[in-house]
Amino acid sequence: MFNKILTKARSLSPWVLHFDCGSCNGCDIEVLACLTPVYDVERFGMINVGNPMHADIFLVTGTVNHRNKKVLRNLYDQIPDPKVVVAIGSCGLTGGIFREAYNVVGGVDKVIPVDVYVPGCPAKPEAIIDGVVLGLEKFKEKAKMAACMRTSNSVEEKP
Amino acid sequence: MTTNQGMLILAGLVAGPLLGGLIAGLDRILTARFQSRIGPPLFQPFYDVIKLFGKEKVVVNVWQAFCANAYLTAASISVVLFFLRSDLLLILFIQAVGAVFLVVGAFSSTSPYSQAGAHRELLQILCYEPLLIFVIVGIYLQTGSFKIESVYAWNHPLLLKLPFMFVVLSFVLTIKLRKSPFDLSTSHHAHQELVKGLLTDYSGSFLALTEIAHWYETVLVLGFCSLFWATNPAGAILLVGLTYFLEIWIDNVSARMNWRWMIGYGWAMGMSLSLVNLVWLYAR
Amino acid sequence: MKELTGILILLPFLAALSCFLIKSSRIRSFIVLATGCILIISSLLLIPHVPFAFTPQTVFGLGVHGLIQAPEFILMFAILYFGCKHRSLLVIVPAALQIIFVAWFEGFMIHGQKTLWPAAQALYCDNLSLIMVMIISIIGSIICFQALPYMKNHEEHLHLSITRQPRFFFVMLFFLGAMNGLVLSNDMIVIHFFFEATTLCSFLLIGHDGTEKAVRNSVRALWMNSLGGLAFIVALMMIYRNLGSIDMQQIIRTPPGAGLSFLALALLCLASFTKSAQFPMQSWLIGAMVAPTPVSALLHSSTMVKVGVYLVLRLAPAMQGSFLSQCIALFGAFTFLSAAALAVGQSNGKKVLAYSTISNLGLIFACAGLNTPESITAAILLIIFHAVTKALLFLCVGTIEQHIESRDIEDMRGLYAKMPLTALITVMGVVMMIMPPFGLLLGKWMAMEAAARNIFVIVLTAIGSALTAMYWARWAGTLMSDPFAGKFKLEKQPVVTWAALLSLCAGAGILSISVPWLYAGLFTPSMSLNYVPPYSLNNGILENTYGVFAALPLCLIAVLGFLQSIWAVRGATKARVCSPYLSGIQTAEPRVFVGPMHQLVKAEAGNYYLSNIFGERKLTIWINLAAGVLLTLIVGGAL
Repeated sequence: MFNKILTKARSLSPWVLHFDCGSCNGCDIEVLACLTPVYDVERFGMINVGNPMHADIFLVTGTVNHRNKKVLRNLYDQIPDPKVVVAIGSCGLTGGIFREAYNVVGGVDKVIPVDVYVPGCPAKPEAIIDGVVLGLEKFKEKAKMAACMRTSNSVEEKP
Repeated sequence: MTTNQGMLILAGLVAGPLLGGLIAGLDRILTARFQSRIGPPLFQPFYDVIKLFGKEKVVVNVWQAFCANAYLTAASISVVLFFLRSDLLLILFIQAVGAVFLVVGAFSSTSPYSQAGAHRELLQILCYEPLLIFVIVGIYLQTGSFKIESVYAWNHPLLLKLPFMFVVLSFVLTIKLRKSPFDLSTSHHAHQELVKGLLTDYSGSFLALTEIAHWYETVLVLGFCSLFWATNPAGAILLVGLTYFLEIWIDNVSARMNWRWMIGYGWAMGMSLSLVNLVWLYAR
Repeated sequence: MKELTGILILLPFLAALSCFLIKSSRIRSFIVLATGCILIISSLLLIPHVPFAFTPQTVFGLGVHGLIQAPEFILMFAILYFGCKHRSLLVIVPAALQIIFVAWFEGFMIHGQKTLWPAAQALYCDNLSLIMVMIISIIGSIICFQALPYMKNHEEHLHLSITRQPRFFFVMLFFLGAMNGLVLSNDMIVIHFFFEATTLCSFLLIGHDGTEKAVRNSVRALWMNSLGGLAFIVALMMIYRNLGSIDMQQIIRTPPGAGLSFLALALLCLASFTKSAQFPMQSWLIGAMVAPTPVSALLHSSTMVKVGVYLVLRLAPAMQGSFLSQCIALFGAFTFLSAAALAVGQSNGKKVLAYSTISNLGLIFACAGLNTPESITAAILLIIFHAVTKALLFLCVGTIEQHIESRDIEDMRGLYAKMPLTALITVMGVVMMIMPPFGLLLGKWMAMEAAARNIFVIVLTAIGSALTAMYWARWAGTLMSDPFAGKFKLEKQPVVTWAALLSLCAGAGILSISVPWLYAGLFTPSMSLNYVPPYSLNNGILENTYGVFAALPLCLIAVLGFLQSIWAVRGATKARVCSPYLSGIQTAEPRVFVGPMHQLVKAEAGNYYLSNIFGERKLTIWINLAAGVLLTLIVGGAL
């Protein structure tokens, strides 16, 4: 019973941590545009928190390079469960046009598991909001999976 | 303990989270409207707190758990005592217990954001505590007692005799509600300076506890404000509503100031206004 | 009862002598332990007999007064000797003047007559004396117990070839006897003798280590306290001329202004202020922190400095309603504020404790000056709880200092990692200093409510109270500033140390819970002679017409809240541990992050000491100036 309320609350109160992993800032500007009055994601209860320990949804832009992949990993580890990772922009998906560069790792999912991919260069705010809302669906799945793990006591890998 | 007292205690315990949460929700909606946005639903703070309780437990220092719980206990006891119409000075000291534990909890993490936030919080306490004592003493000098029940027994609204004290109280309110220009130690979303300052290393259920304690404190300080028009419930609601609206308005039009300005301006203004009010009282 | 009084006053002197003469450290430890236990039991056994007054049997035809005449002169010549030895004119002049005045007083003024009113007794014990005796005997003994392992460690640390412990324990035990004698005497000249005896003890103990700094500070303590003693004897001479006796109870019962010169009372207050290290005479107490920590705990927080407040509290009924009393209230409140301000700017742990002591003593003086039933109750509460809690904190700092070899708060950062239980006890001590439902806050609450009609006192007290919270919370936070993961591993300390620390901690807690019974049993009777009982007591709730403090319910809730929070901590030990937020560049080591060029950088943190505003050097000058003005007001107003 409490679990139902909890799952509902999770999807109604997604706190977002935004991290720029070497992006040209194009996608970052679009992410911040979502907070402005034009798009106003606070309607969905989304707040931009600066601290991974307060976050639920991890928005990552930019290709990842060999310096900030450790930071990305650290931040991801510091976010308490349940968490959802959203990779934004073509750089975040696969490295975009910078893919061949020597310092580029090439996409967020090479370092941390990603749940939602939002393509675009830059990705439009509407697409970003769509992506986050899709991510909220993941919360329900993860909660169900956690409940299954509790009942069946079997070890399952997270996607 | 009579049933009446039992009811009041229950009301105090319940009113804090309920009223406080609704007021916090109203705060966010009003702020959003000021900024030409729509804002979250009214019950958003409740969704936030419930979600936080469901997060994985992560700690930096296990004593954060102690401090968060102690903060909540102290804040709730101060509201309960307020509902029981107890002694104002005692309520102030109990509320201070919570504030100090919050600071110690923040100190227990070595993150620079946490430490700087903790120091700023101490400076905030240093600023508002004397001012709050002056307001309480002003009420005492007018009604003859520190007990809240004597405020209700007084036939006139305190606001008529203690207008400047009310201004000083609203100053304290700005600091307690963590509104600009005095949101130095930690602030509401999107006003970050030290990441989340004092609350940086609190997370999950402990952050939820501090949030609920903050709601209790909001109810407490707004309750203080309501004492200034204790004769008429409608008047009290009007006064509190107007004051809160003004706080949100000030929050949206001002920038964060530094602690030197806060203490300098606060004490200078607080002390002179208090003195003027008290001298005025005695000259009549 | 007479035997108990004899034990309380005379046994420490005998024990002190035997400590000095006996060379074996084991026997010495046994003597200290035994004396302490006997003192504790005797003071507790005294409770049912109070109030009482009696004159002991004459020895060789000499009463109490006669018996102390010779020791008095020996004492003053000893002080003169030390002044000459250290070539300090500031000591020599007051000491010489005191000898002259006492000789004049004894020889010409008294001239063999009685110094007491016909029906009065030489020894008098009411509830206030009983409270002081219990503080001295119980807390003093616990501190002496802890001094045993402390001094052993101290001397090992200093690589001393010849132990100086016999001298140390001689003076400590002698001091306990002198204090007991002081609070049980009715004859002011006897009180003066013990007053000066404590001065000499303080001088000997501050200079114990024999370093240049210690000697310098001990001489400073000696001359300042000698000035106080000089003021005392001049006041006595004036009182004798007015009243024909120097009987404490008689002085108190004289209606204000009826033949008792306010100037004499002002001089006695001045002597008290010196003894309690109020501004501008505070530098001796700050300098006295060079002494070993048991000395600081015993003399300079719990007992000797309480002599000043004890005297003023005793004299308070004689000053009711006078301008002198109001000035004392203002002066006390001013000290409360300024000492708190100075403590904010300090990072030396013992100096913070010293300033906090001066601050609390100022508050007690303010309560005595306000002279209403509520404020006197507040003063007594503050005396008890300050003595216990401050002794605890000093012992904690002493233990910490021996472990980490520093007394700076910055070096105690994250002490929880190295000394978990000591850090927790220190935090507990800090909590007991500033939070309800503990007795010290109850006293402060009472003091503020009593002061609320006096605009200056309440303003000073309000700001002082906020500053107090700041420096204590900062210290408590610094101790716990350690990202903690792993099991709680108890550090090793001698059993006596744990016993001393835990007993004081538990004692403060138990006393706080028993405040309703203390109030009914100890305070109300001790005051009913001169003041109406201020509070009514129902179900452990103290209430009067304008204030209410639910002492017992709050204690209960505090205990429940504490247990619930501890249970939450146990739950948190199973939580995932995360390093503190360092913008994602943290490493496995909690304070270290990856900096430029992949260099590891340690994140340093420091406390705000605000030395531009609260720095000791600058601020002390202004404070001393203002204090001087206030003191002139006190003495001038009394003229």
